Amino acid sequence: MTKKILVADDEMSIRLLYSEELKEEGYEVYLAANGREALEIVDKVPLDLVILDIKMPEMNGIEALRQIKEKQPDLPVLLSTAYGEYRQDFATWASDEYLVKSSDLEDLKSAVKRYLKE
Amino acid sequence: MATERIAFLAQMVEVLTSTVSFGERLNNMVHLLARHLKVDLALYFGLDKAQETLILNLSSQGPVPPHLRLEFPLGRGLAGEVAKTRKIKIVQRSQPGVLAANRALEKLHPAFVTLAGFPVADDNFFYGVLILVDRQEHTFTPTDRLNIQLASLMLAGTLRQALLQEEAKKRIAELSVLFEVGKALSSTVELDVLLERVVTTTAKVISARGAALQIIDGITKAVRVSSQYGEIPLSCPAPPDILAAPLPPGELPHLQGQETNASGQTHYFLAVPLTFKGQLQGTICVYDKFAPTGDYLPFDPENRQLLHTMAGLIVNAIENALTFKQVESLAEKNERMVRNLTILQIISRALLTTVQEGRLLEIILQGLTLEQGLGFDRAVVFMVDEANQALKGVKGAQRTAELRNLPLYEALLTPLAEEVKVEDLEIPLRHDQGPLALTVLQKRPQHMHGAPPGEPPALALPPGFAAPDFFAVPLVVKDRATGVIMVDNGASGRPLEEEPLHVLQMFSTQAGLVVENAHLYSTIEANNRELLLIRERMLESDRLAALSSLASGMAHEIRNPLVSIGGFARRIAKLVEGNSPLRGYVEVIQEEVTRLEKLLREILDFTGENLSFYGDHDLNKLLADTLMLVQRDLDACRINVVKDFSSLPRLHCDDRQIKQVFYNLFQNACQAMQHGGTLTIRTYPLEREDGLYLAAAITDTGGGIPLEVLHNIFNPFFSTKDYGTGLGLAIAQRIVSRHYGQVEVNNELGKGVTFIVSLPVAKYCLVKEPGRGPVPASAYKLRKEEGDDQKNPGG
Repeated sequence: MTKKILVADDEMSIRLLYSEELKEEGYEVYLAANGREALEIVDKVPLDLVILDIKMPEMNGIEALRQIKEKQPDLPVLLSTAYGEYRQDFATWASDEYLVKSSDLEDLKSAVKRYLKE
Repeated sequence: MATERIAFLAQMVEVLTSTVSFGERLNNMVHLLARHLKVDLALYFGLDKAQETLILNLSSQGPVPPHLRLEFPLGRGLAGEVAKTRKIKIVQRSQPGVLAANRALEKLHPAFVTLAGFPVADDNFFYGVLILVDRQEHTFTPTDRLNIQLASLMLAGTLRQALLQEEAKKRIAELSVLFEVGKALSSTVELDVLLERVVTTTAKVISARGAALQIIDGITKAVRVSSQYGEIPLSCPAPPDILAAPLPPGELPHLQGQETNASGQTHYFLAVPLTFKGQLQGTICVYDKFAPTGDYLPFDPENRQLLHTMAGLIVNAIENALTFKQVESLAEKNERMVRNLTILQIISRALLTTVQEGRLLEIILQGLTLEQGLGFDRAVVFMVDEANQALKGVKGAQRTAELRNLPLYEALLTPLAEEVKVEDLEIPLRHDQGPLALTVLQKRPQHMHGAPPGEPPALALPPGFAAPDFFAVPLVVKDRATGVIMVDNGASGRPLEEEPLHVLQMFSTQAGLVVENAHLYSTIEANNRELLLIRERMLESDRLAALSSLASGMAHEIRNPLVSIGGFARRIAKLVEGNSPLRGYVEVIQEEVTRLEKLLREILDFTGENLSFYGDHDLNKLLADTLMLVQRDLDACRINVVKDFSSLPRLHCDDRQIKQVFYNLFQNACQAMQHGGTLTIRTYPLEREDGLYLAAAITDTGGGIPLEVLHNIFNPFFSTKDYGTGLGLAIAQRIVSRHYGQVEVNNELGKGVTFIVSLPVAKYCLVKEPGRGPVPASAYKLRKEEGDDQKNPGG
């Protein structure tokens, strides 16, 4: 069965890039522009993995992470961010992975594979 | 008759001109006269000096024994009458009153009948009376009388000659005595020797058995000097006693007398005063004149006269000697004063070499205890502790012979050889706490002589610490006593002399001032350092705070588009055919994005705290390694590299970061010399107040930094270049200051710029031990080893 992945990022270009890459890998990709949209999708769609940006308008990734983990503690959530300096803190936010954004998406794709147990 | 008379006169002339002594001549003349006149006796009575008494001097029967030296007062007896009237008189025993008046003559001629008196005188002078005695009634013919008168004249002439000769002899004797005395007195100006010679010469000249001299102070009556020679049977009369002695008018002051002691021996003395110009008074006294028989004799007026004359000479000689002594002691005093002032001047000069309180105290203590300084056995400095109202021992020193051959100035700057441990001494500042506390409280020096054994607790010092004789002088600054200097000569037991103490008092003012100044200076310096440190920290934290927020904001803003661009470029690359020209373009995009992403990481590295890797490294090697990294750029810009490396100790640093510093600097140099130039890299050790530093000076020939941007070059994000982050120098400075080093810029407009990176050799250079000044560079090795034992928490 095709795995469902949600990508939440306020940057349209990032959303496009991630969805293209992940689709190519054979995943079904859902997109959200902020934390609130992401939560709506989480409620509607039975997801296998969520990739959250941290800094987003309306609801940021940290808050979205908290709410998602409240609802579905077993759903893996990866933080993908342009900030390098919060690496130390991500564990306390109960996220599963902290990834600094890079044009080379190999790190991201291998993390996704790891969590989807492929 | 005439023949007889001529014969008589001829005989008289013969006697008169003979070469025998005057006494014999006179005796012969009297004898001749008696024989010629055929009288029993011819006597000559001389008038004494006082012109009061006629004394029998000559007799035709030979020398007159002492018990027959008859005397007639002037006017009494025939001799007295003739002497008074100066006229010839002839009397007979039978005439009334003659026997009664001249009965004394019966001792010589019991049966005299005729007495004839003739005055003996010349044109100027009356000498005495010639008395002719005969047992018969005797008449003198006119011829006889003429002969007698002629004989009297000859007698007078002879007497005159005798007197003159005796006078001349006396004068010559006196002169030779005075010559001897003068010679003795002028032979020395040493007072003691002079006085000894004075008494010896005086005794010998006067033929006395002993002589004594004393000089007293006319006001205090205290004996100033005295000297004795020979036997002194009686005490020397004091000058006032001599001056008070009653004397006949016209006589010079003197005191003469005799005393018979218990054993019946009579002693004689003669004392005359010595009168000086000033308040001094003196006496010279002689005792017991020698007699040829060995008896003791009294002194005669001649002796007195001589002693007076000598007194005059003695006074002069003693005054000269006293003046000389005074001048000599003044000169000595001057010399000592000059020496002391020179010492003070040299100490002052040495005190100018430092502002560190510890060093100043050492110099002060050296000055006090060095032999070529003030030479005290021991000196201790106490300072007032205002907070505790107590005097605290600060530093003490003991005299050593070690530096005695060094010039004072060099010896002063040598560390103390023997310190006296005084740091534990503490004296409460109360009046009952002994002299040291009093010195401060009264702001007056205290000189303690022989502290009574029961006193030590009051001294508030440990038993046995204070010497029995010590001196304490306050250090007073602006009417406030800040401390005490205590000195003593307890070790050698020498007395404390006035003069060094006087110099110490002069010195204490300066000592107080320099110590106070050093104190103020160190306070100001510490405050200054603290202010500077605070300011630097504030500036840096401000700068970093601004930079952090800016950097992370930028990271976010730039990273997202970069990720998109790079990500899509990769996607495009996958789709483009291998031989398509698009492939090259896409690869350029990918590479550029990768480069930009790397740049972003650098920024984030700068804002975040990175892990450090400290170790001991060779600065020259770090520079050489970094040069290799930029070699391609250097070659491209045709930059010539000059390396001037000194041999250096190893540097404790994070090699990665230090390489980054040099990398950034080399990059800047390359940018500045894009059309060629010379990059000079020089390394050298650098001694600073707080330790040894290693410096690397990197000089380019790129024309220097324009003045208007010079102040900005270390600011993050400032760049004159069209590309780059502008962080190169900011990062370099950040890294260097993390290493407690400095980056300095030496900008020569139109030529080039030199960046000097200086780094402390040991990692604890800025960690100063409390109570100590900066550690001298010479201590580097030791501290380096200490530093190695401790692991750097960052490494």
